[in-house]
Amino acid sequence: MSQSYFEEAVKPFSPATVMEEVSRCLLCIDPPCSKSCPAGTDPGKFIRSLRFKNVEGAACTIRINNALGSVCARVCPTERYCQKGCLRSGIDRPLDIGRIQSFLTDYEEKGGLNFFEKKAPKNKKIALVGGGPSALQAAATLAIEGYSVEIYEKDSKLGGYLRGGIPEYRLPTEILDKEIQRILDLDVKAHLGVKIGEDISLDYLKEHFDAVCICTGFSKGKTLEMFEGKEDTITAVELLKKLKADPKGATLPEKVLVIGGGDVAMDAVCSLKMLGAKKVIDVVYEELPEMRASEKEVKSVLSQADSLICGYAPVSHEGHKTVFKHRFLESELTITSDLVVLAVGQTADVNGLSLTLEKGEAVGVYHSTSDPKVFFAGDLTPKNEKTVVYAVKTGKEAAWAMINRLEGKK
Amino acid sequence: MEKLDLSIEFLGVKFPNPFCLSASPVGNDYDMCAKAYRSGFGGVVFKTIGPKSYFIDEVSPRFDAVGKEGTPFTGFKNMEQIAEHPLEENLADMKRLKKDFPNRVLIASIMGNDEQTWEDLARMSEEAGADMLEMNLSCPQMTSHAMGSDVGTNPELCKRYCEAVKRGSKLPMMAKMTPNITDMNIVAKACIEGGADGIAAINTVKSITRVDLDKLVGMPIIDGKSSVSGYSGAAVKPIGLRFIAQLHGDPALKDVQLSGMGGIETWEDAAEYILLGASNLQMTTCLMQYGYRIVEDLSDGLLRYMKKNGVKHLSELVGKASGSIIPAESLNRDYRIYPHIDEDACLGCGRCYISCYDGAHQAMEWNEEKRKPHVNDEKCVGCHLCLLVCPVKAISPGEIKYKEGRPVGTPKI
Repeated sequence: MSQSYFEEAVKPFSPATVMEEVSRCLLCIDPPCSKSCPAGTDPGKFIRSLRFKNVEGAACTIRINNALGSVCARVCPTERYCQKGCLRSGIDRPLDIGRIQSFLTDYEEKGGLNFFEKKAPKNKKIALVGGGPSALQAAATLAIEGYSVEIYEKDSKLGGYLRGGIPEYRLPTEILDKEIQRILDLDVKAHLGVKIGEDISLDYLKEHFDAVCICTGFSKGKTLEMFEGKEDTITAVELLKKLKADPKGATLPEKVLVIGGGDVAMDAVCSLKMLGAKKVIDVVYEELPEMRASEKEVKSVLSQADSLICGYAPVSHEGHKTVFKHRFLESELTITSDLVVLAVGQTADVNGLSLTLEKGEAVGVYHSTSDPKVFFAGDLTPKNEKTVVYAVKTGKEAAWAMINRLEGKK
Repeated sequence: MEKLDLSIEFLGVKFPNPFCLSASPVGNDYDMCAKAYRSGFGGVVFKTIGPKSYFIDEVSPRFDAVGKEGTPFTGFKNMEQIAEHPLEENLADMKRLKKDFPNRVLIASIMGNDEQTWEDLARMSEEAGADMLEMNLSCPQMTSHAMGSDVGTNPELCKRYCEAVKRGSKLPMMAKMTPNITDMNIVAKACIEGGADGIAAINTVKSITRVDLDKLVGMPIIDGKSSVSGYSGAAVKPIGLRFIAQLHGDPALKDVQLSGMGGIETWEDAAEYILLGASNLQMTTCLMQYGYRIVEDLSDGLLRYMKKNGVKHLSELVGKASGSIIPAESLNRDYRIYPHIDEDACLGCGRCYISCYDGAHQAMEWNEEKRKPHVNDEKCVGCHLCLLVCPVKAISPGEIKYKEGRPVGTPKI
């Protein structure tokens, strides 16, 4: 059966099948899965709780450790993190931790459970620039600790890349909306359609808030010189956003060439196919062993794409014709397409935020810039992977960096 | 070469194989029993018939199950009473079964409420063509105290009823014991004195399986209430094996043949019952869960076990292991067997370390960095809890050391 864009691709566990799955857990001491979760979601603890039928306690562990627990459960490349640590692999295969986590966050949602407890107000205000995953986690941590938090988001809704970039079949909008609502319910204020550096200046924020955290992420798709200014070329970031905003209204070209081998490229290929594009060909710079996309994503591309070609780099693009050369072999490839989608990485857009970047990332230690009032989190954090789970990790860390500064600790 | 089969004689009747339906919902009428025979059962104990005056009125629902993660039922609770069909109908079904399946064994399970009814039921069963009788002295879910498991705890009453049955019929007869008693052998001996030819054990264990935590009612819920009733299935097998071994090991009962039941699901369970003294086997719970078809693998598995061990007749296996069960004070306490850890097989989960610390003698040491356990011989008592909890069986019995001052020997391990 073909996968629909509008239906979640990963089917949930039932109460019986989830127990079967957790009964496979070895219940390790000092669980390696928990040590391998960048966000500290603590799968070892929530799986053990579920194994001993403390379902509510299990759901609570996820939520208090990870304000985006339902999102991470769905989009995290778990084979690189928690599941990589799972010792059950020594017997057969790791536990399906993402799906177990989805079961528990669904249980929380269906039961109307609320695990967040706010501490006494600190009477201090913090502004977050950008409304993506790192900002959402920072907002939750800060609000729980008693700070008043205001988010400034350039788009008309919160969520950032989660809303615009991750396709519906991987992350239903409904799930994201509920996740965000849970955070807003902590009295977090959101200013929507406001771009800092254009509509309001960073100085204004610095003046009116005790601390400011820049969480604008890597929101811009990179391009390649030969495609600059070409009408038949779009970045995957833009394409995915367009498709997600109006999937039914999108007019799709017949033949699409996607360039890229990461999760974003995979999402672009699958979304295009699911929404009805006739031919979608993906050309990847990396060869198979070095593909960057997650296991789940590659698998879905293999079932959706018409062709997947590895090891080729583009050399020219003229009149709908893109020419590639193999990186190691004597081989040239010419593909004619109606549209080229570039998924060759993303970069920061920090215009007007007076943020110093080095190799595209912010400069500073422990989420602090040289300005004692200004912090950063998310993709901007140097030497951090650009995934949602790292956004959560850095959101939490940046929140604590601000709290410590404001409370005079270090 | 003679073809190996599972035939075995029990109370003078030849069974094509030892597997029988026990008196329960699985042998409720002609069609069910006929299907069981066709599936390969050697015998059927037809669902217990009672006196005509006894009115059967069942509850709904009437079962409950206790599971373990990933296993829907390890234990099963049954509130169903004895045969629901009219007595004449049951007797007619038995007659037809014997006619259509002359080479399979038909056992009538009977339950009276006084000496006269026991006698009458025995006679009627013989007239219907049964090959054997089983006295149900032990059904925990009967509503009357004159019938059910309380009868089975009273040796005097059991003896009198056995005598009554023997007055009604000369068919071979076994008395079915309740496990809800400390010493079953007292009742078994009384039944033999009363004329019983064999003993069947065990009936179900009185139980409350679960409580609904929202409604605050025991399970299953019948109009807001529940009752104590019989527990069966894999969970009760160890209890059944213990009673069979104790009956078989009693010198006063050494010539009495036993029908074993309680949690038999696989050929291995069946072999265990036989090795501890059963010549006949009965089952219900596994059939309710999986159907009669499982008799195929019970039979085939048991045959292969016999072949592998050069056993020509199943009867050779009966009681072969019962001598191994001796009083705890007679066991050899002179040595310890230290666990041996296969470092390559060890996954590093640390379960042995946790269990040894929290449940034994803190002898397992844990290298946090390498995630590897190590046995401290100074502290290890050789209890083998670590062997049991290891998920990959990376721990096995290792070096044997004799305690100081004890005579050194070669223990059989």
